[in-house]
Amino acid sequence: MRTRALIALAAAAVLLAAVALSLAVGAGDIPLHTVWDALVHYDPSDPLQGNVRVLRVSRTVIGVVAGAALAVAGALMQTLTRNPFADPGLLGINAGASLAVVVGLATGVATGFAAQVPLAFVGAGVAAVLVYAIGARGAAAGAPVRLALAGVALASLISSITYAVLMLDDATLDQYRMWVAGSLTGRDLANVMPLIPIVLVAITVALVASRQLAAVALGEDAARALGVNIGLIRTVTIVLVTLLAASATAAAGPIIFVGLAVPHLARALVGASLPWMLAVSALGGAALVLVCDVIGRVVAPPGEIGVGITTAFVGGIIFAVLARRMKVVEL
Amino acid sequence: MRILRIGPLGIATHRRTFAVGLIMLGALAALLTFSLVQGQADVPILDALKAAVGIPVGAPTDFIVGQVRAPRALTAVLVGAMLGLSGAILQSLTRNPLASPDFIGISMGAGTGAVLTIWLIGATSLWVTAAGAMAGALLTAALIFAIAWKHGLVPLRLILAGIGIGFVANAATQYAITRMDVHDAGNALGWLVGSVTGRTWDHVAVAAAVLAVLAPLVLWNARALRTMEMGDDAARALGIPVGSARGVLALCSVLVAATAVAVTGPIGFIALVSPAIALRVTRNAGVTLIPSALMGALLLLAADQVAQQMPANLQLPVGIFTAAVGAPYLMWLVWRASRGGQS
Repeated sequence: MRTRALIALAAAAVLLAAVALSLAVGAGDIPLHTVWDALVHYDPSDPLQGNVRVLRVSRTVIGVVAGAALAVAGALMQTLTRNPFADPGLLGINAGASLAVVVGLATGVATGFAAQVPLAFVGAGVAAVLVYAIGARGAAAGAPVRLALAGVALASLISSITYAVLMLDDATLDQYRMWVAGSLTGRDLANVMPLIPIVLVAITVALVASRQLAAVALGEDAARALGVNIGLIRTVTIVLVTLLAASATAAAGPIIFVGLAVPHLARALVGASLPWMLAVSALGGAALVLVCDVIGRVVAPPGEIGVGITTAFVGGIIFAVLARRMKVVEL
Repeated sequence: MRILRIGPLGIATHRRTFAVGLIMLGALAALLTFSLVQGQADVPILDALKAAVGIPVGAPTDFIVGQVRAPRALTAVLVGAMLGLSGAILQSLTRNPLASPDFIGISMGAGTGAVLTIWLIGATSLWVTAAGAMAGALLTAALIFAIAWKHGLVPLRLILAGIGIGFVANAATQYAITRMDVHDAGNALGWLVGSVTGRTWDHVAVAAAVLAVLAPLVLWNARALRTMEMGDDAARALGIPVGSARGVLALCSVLVAATAVAVTGPIGFIALVSPAIALRVTRNAGVTLIPSALMGALLLLAADQVAQQMPANLQLPVGIFTAAVGAPYLMWLVWRASRGGQS
């Protein structure tokens, strides 16, 4: 218990460091004391300070929200499906959210951000149910690979449809770009604000329900013996995954592998305790997205590359290494 | 069972496989002719065939058929065949119907190689781009292999490592695109869409040359491939040099897929579905290389025809049509496997 609390504290410290890094480092050179001034005693007449407050603070907040949401969504999916390769990005749930929004935009249904977010929820929900139905059944041999491939198939189908819609409607392609590529800079902070309570509530519910979910993960018989309502917990979990993945996609576009890699690291640190694993995942996911974003800011001067690209690069390697570490029996 | 002999190459084939192969060849010829004749301006069959092989018949037809339709259709045929062949080899080697170069990282690695070549050397010649794609695919394959190798090679681990490395390769491609100059980036992006539009005789030449070298090598090892499906020990007992045969076949599969990617950009799902459909129509027990290649050619040519027939406001690259058919098939495969308890 005490070690776990210490690990959670350490994760919080890492997140704080990542936040500091994200505020201090950028493609443009802003002296550290200017950053400090912008945060502590803001002087609106200094354009550099304005830059920090408008750009760096907002992308940091968006990164924290998206990272925490994705990591918890991934942890929930991995527990529910008992599949180490579950990830809302890899399995096409984020892509589903993007597609729904892009279709909504192309048909003129979704004009403002307020109308786009519910569409993102619908798209993510449909994709989540679909991929769960196709690939998550049974714990037979090969199940992890099957789920991963089902997700890759679904994601590639969804993204080619999204792509088709965008190709046919290229006048507005630029405006929708944010929904098809992961980036922390495409959104106004004011638009993302309403998503923060959704993410917080969803993470809280996940923490509260984590004991029952852990029981379901033990197997249906064990869960029933412990008096858990299996159907309810499964439904709640899928709803939570949908809410979290769709919020993250609405805030930052589709980002892959954060939900895959972070829960594995968290599990390695705190062991099988689901509540602690979820908490450490939330902190670690936020930190990972911020660090990946900072890497994307400095790696391609004078431009930047989106956080979706850096997380895919880092996460792809982690995924491959995980595949190597798996025992043959588990495959 | 009958034996087809062409010089030193002997291909044992079932009567039904042979007949189905002939039918597919006929269908391919018909579809090819149709794609030369049909279009915004219809051309008489004889004129179209003459113009396609370079016999002058008159100004507009010479250009429309000789320089636009014929290279486009032949590119589709050759690339489709390459994808079908590559997928068939890979699925047989991994003993898994879900394996295909476009999902296990090979095509992504080829794309990275091609884009890096365009970035560093420039889009000077298709041969250079193709060489870059091959180098990228080989490096990626070696990396996937190294990651998946642990006390022997488990096909499922190979597939998973490939999925991961595929994402890494894609990220590298996108990074390169943000770094290159606008003109090259436009070229690279257009190519990454995956399309046979605007392909020239150069593209046909590259695809035909690589296929001419590698296809005989693959067919030479076809018996080994088929025997290895029964298991390594059985194959060894029957005198198959398992290690070297597998190496050669894997190399050919990677190079063929890389060339296909270099010529048309990544076109998904043909490599996945062609071998499966070929198995179904020939009712063969094991891998069928030539029917898989023919099926790939037919599918890509047909998909391109569908793409061309769409109304002007729905003009989309062919990869979107192949995905629309292939992705549901893959999901069905996964769903069925989850009922049967096997992947």
